[in-house]
Amino acid sequence: MSAALQYFLAGLGIGGIYALVAIGFHIMWSSAKAVNFAHGDTLMLGAVLTIVFLDHGFAMPVAILLSIGVAIVFGVVLERVAIRPFADQAASIGWMLTTIAIGIMLESYATIEFGAFARPLPSPGVDKPIIIFGAGVFIQELLIPFVAVVIVVLLGVFQRRTQLGRAMRAVAFNRVAAGIVGVNVLHVAMFSFALASALGGLAGILVAPVIQASATMGLLLGIKGFAVAIIGGITSAPGVVIAGLLYGIIEKFVDGYISTAAREAVGFSLVIIVLMLFPQGLFGRRELIKV
Amino acid sequence: MSKIALRTAIGGAAVFATAIALGTGPANAAEANPCIGNSGPVTGPAAFGGKSIRMGAEMAVDEINAAGGVLGKKLKFIQYDDRGAPPRGVDNVRRIGLRDNCVAMLGGYHSTVALAMRDPIHEIKMVYVGVIAANTNVIENGRNPNYMFRVSAKDRWVSKFLVAEALKRSPNNKVGIMYENTGWGKGAYPNIQAALREQGTKEVGAETFNWRDTDMTPQLIRLREAGAESLVMWGLDREGNQIMRSLQKIGWNPVKIGAWGFAGNLGELAGKLANCSLIMQTYSWMGKLEPRAQKLYATMQKRYGIKSQKEIRMGSGVANAYDAIHIIAKAIKAAGSFDRQKVYEAMFKVKHNGLVMNYNPAFEQTEERHDAILPDAYKLTAWYDGELLPLEQTPCK
Repeated sequence: MSAALQYFLAGLGIGGIYALVAIGFHIMWSSAKAVNFAHGDTLMLGAVLTIVFLDHGFAMPVAILLSIGVAIVFGVVLERVAIRPFADQAASIGWMLTTIAIGIMLESYATIEFGAFARPLPSPGVDKPIIIFGAGVFIQELLIPFVAVVIVVLLGVFQRRTQLGRAMRAVAFNRVAAGIVGVNVLHVAMFSFALASALGGLAGILVAPVIQASATMGLLLGIKGFAVAIIGGITSAPGVVIAGLLYGIIEKFVDGYISTAAREAVGFSLVIIVLMLFPQGLFGRRELIKV
Repeated sequence: MSKIALRTAIGGAAVFATAIALGTGPANAAEANPCIGNSGPVTGPAAFGGKSIRMGAEMAVDEINAAGGVLGKKLKFIQYDDRGAPPRGVDNVRRIGLRDNCVAMLGGYHSTVALAMRDPIHEIKMVYVGVIAANTNVIENGRNPNYMFRVSAKDRWVSKFLVAEALKRSPNNKVGIMYENTGWGKGAYPNIQAALREQGTKEVGAETFNWRDTDMTPQLIRLREAGAESLVMWGLDREGNQIMRSLQKIGWNPVKIGAWGFAGNLGELAGKLANCSLIMQTYSWMGKLEPRAQKLYATMQKRYGIKSQKEIRMGSGVANAYDAIHIIAKAIKAAGSFDRQKVYEAMFKVKHNGLVMNYNPAFEQTEERHDAILPDAYKLTAWYDGELLPLEQTPCK
């Protein structure tokens, strides 16, 4: 019993990390029909820069705000130079390559400046595990899925109650029609990338105490986060969070009851099966293209 | 294509074909250049390994050149980045051996890269001296002549060393194994099993983990339920930290004894959780240093901005690379030439009183003794309050 609970709690923590990354993909896709494949590196920026600012004597809250600020600037610039020139062209997938390239460059630069070692980001959430029916978990690990759920709720409220949020939904529904009725589609896309990057930076800061900050921390998280976004249905924010949490829990149960070596094989097989059965993802909306 | 461009292309092709036909490429030159190459991780998560090799090698090259060089020529050290990727390592061997025409090369950090280098090294017939990557089969590869040498640990010997230390601390001889799912970890696993068999026992369980795994509780729960009293661990710092944190989560504190992949910054990542985790090394820069090491440490402070002894990451790599360069230089002197074949033959004549041990001789003409550092020179160190200290300088047992 305690072993199963242990796997569940560990999976919840990891799934929460995937969910946070996947929310960023959802936001970007919804408004720009393109994603930043360097989004994993946005997490890295948030985590690594927080440590750098702490090293320079800034207080933790200031370091966090500054890091998120840099992540926002990164998202905006990336949208302008690596997405917009390519996403406007019909059937263009040039943005895939440009964002991957920027991610690789960013990772290499971070390795040179930050160093190759992972470093801890201090947090009271990982000082001591709490024990629940014999299973141990750090508060930080529980905080991550909780924040993911809160973000989805707030995002829903924002999209329904604010003008900018409604504009995001309109662009997500139909870019051309939204443009015709006066929505500045380019500004909405830029805002979406800024928002996704802010959340990416925050996610990096939240997960760093658990997984440590390093120049290379973003790669796998980005891949898994994107996989989760696809399974959940990239058009559905609650969908990607649920898929993230489920994916994390399934991974840990495979680790626990089959083997660690089987984890990735089982996980990515699930991705393929889900996509065969639900091409739009588990909770995604089927997108209609009128010709 | 313009006529001029066409003529240039045809001319270039003709020169190239003639050069091949006459065999005048640099690879066939009898005398190699007075340089020693290295392919290691200069960027990527293991860049500290590449830096440790560079520090040790450059300090040795500087000493040799200050004393007049080798056979009247100044030695040069050239490092290329492989980022831990085998194809890049193979490419770098060819750059070092064919383009730079170096007399020898040092190996890098990753065993997977070193394993991939065996073929190009033997095609070029250039002496390779590994200074970190410890996979047994890098050196014991069945080739004759065997151009692969090593001034570093050998996993088969390390396994025996770690198993012996683990059994000393396990009242009922119950040892569990945790190893990373890479060429290095998979290569070491049969070595650990064999070492346990030699001691008349076998592991109670063996578990794997992947790079960047963030939780190891399932594996550790299985090992705890199998009754393990001690864990022999084979991996790197980042995953070592997750092992420590997962042990804390499940409330288990077995004896932890690991290979030197945990000698980087495990203590910084895991803090007190890593206390008394025992790590094998070939050299420690901590505590009181002998005069020669003290001088090298002063050089590292001045030249590489090292502020304290604990900032020397993968210190064994620094010492191994330092000794390896001196051994190669002595082999060139003994050969009396920069001819690669003569240098290869002279490698077996070298005796050297090095930083890690007294190599007497460094190598012998058996496959097993292409490894210079003998198990007697292995040291047990322990993480304690963020520092990796010689065991006797800690309260750990």
